[in-house]
Formats: sequence, C-alpha cells, structure tokens
Amino acid sequence: MIKIVAVTACPTGIAHTYMAAEMLEKAAKKLNVKIIVETNGAIGVENRLKQKDIEESIAVIIAADARVDMQRFNGKPLIEVGVSQAIKNPTKLIQDALSNLYPIYKNEN
Amino acid sequence: MLLVDKRISDAKGFIGDLKIRESLGSTGIGLGIAIPHAKSSFVDSPSLVFGRSMNGIEFESLDGEPAKLFFMIAMPESGSNMHLKALALLSRSLIHENFRNRLYKAKTNEDVIKILESIDSID
Repeated sequence: MIKIVAVTACPTGIAHTYMAAEMLEKAAKKLNVKIIVETNGAIGVENRLKQKDIEESIAVIIAADARVDMQRFNGKPLIEVGVSQAIKNPTKLIQDALSNLYPIYKNEN
Repeated sequence: MLLVDKRISDAKGFIGDLKIRESLGSTGIGLGIAIPHAKSSFVDSPSLVFGRSMNGIEFESLDGEPAKLFFMIAMPESGSNMHLKALALLSRSLIHENFRNRLYKAKTNEDVIKILESIDSID
C-alpha cells in the first residue's frame, strides 16, 4: 500500500492539530492510502514518525502553524500548508501527493 | 456561567483572551463546529462549555458555513495537562458525522454528557 507521512501542529495545540490529523486519516482511508500522522500538540509529540516510515513514504505533508522539526525530511517530496488546509482540503492534499506534485524538500541548515 | 461557578475570575478578561485567539484565525473549523478556546490567566479551573444553535451563527468558518455546535474551552495559563488528552479525543470525534448528529439530537444536558462520555468508544 502507498504510504504517506504527515505532521500536524497548531499554535495552541489543543484542537486543530487533532482535527487535521483525523481529517487526513479519514481522507487517506477513502483513497486507499496508508497515512501516518504525527501530532505536535500541547500534550507534546505523539505518534512520532519513525525514520523507516519516512523512508518508505512517497510524500510528506506538513500541516502546521507552529514549528516542526524539518531536518528529517531532507530529500523527500514535501508540501507545507497551514493546519486549516488539512481540515478543509485533506483529500486534495493526498491526491496531490499521489500525483507527484510536491517539490523535493531541501533543508537549508 | 463560568463566573458564577467560580471557574474563571473575570469574564471580560477571559472573553478578551478568546478574542485574541480568534484574531489569529477563526476557530470555526467548518462542518458547523466552532471551538473558541484560550489559555488565560483569568481561568481558575479548566472548563469545557457546550452550546448549540440550530439556526447557526456566522463564525467566519473555514467552509463559510455558520457554526451550530460550540465547544468553548477555557484553560488556565499553567497547570496539569491531564485534560488535554480529552480535548484531543473530542477534536477527533467532532470530525465524524455520526458523533455530530448525536449532539444535534441531544435533548438534555445529561444527553450531552453521555455523548461526551462515550468518546472513547467512537471509531
């Protein structure tokens, strides 16, 4: 099964982070894609992405309005959007990943 | 209501903090849901208030639709993180139509509390 990884985060970290995660998971299920979503919320980081999952994924979706540890995604096709985009258009984000529309991420540091 | 129960110390101050959060972007997340929330020094006990408006209230929601289900979250500036897990679960549950429909149909406060207590068992 095609695998995508994602990270969600929002400023307060109590609601949007989890709604975005749930929306992405729901949309992925419909599209028959496996998605692993790491949530960076007020509780802390949950479901932290494993290096193996990142390597096996075809794309990375960062839906965040807060800082996310990005270095680990070097060289992956990646999209960065606000957390509300993942709540509003989760299906499109995943479809774009499947269509190879994301640029390769290069960490500047 | 929160003031009467002594869960917040200053209603104006707390509402001000809610507005500051709204100014960063509406908490109307679409699907008829809004979750106005703030971490505020005016909050004494972490609280969740449920409200419902069958006609809906314009909330500058992500999908442009009026909000009908409201969960207002009041959190103190510091303190335990215990309630955060529950809020995360609630946020996830709200995405599901079945869960929202039950909240629309609830007739009494007890109904709402029962629905919230059932969150763990929602798929």
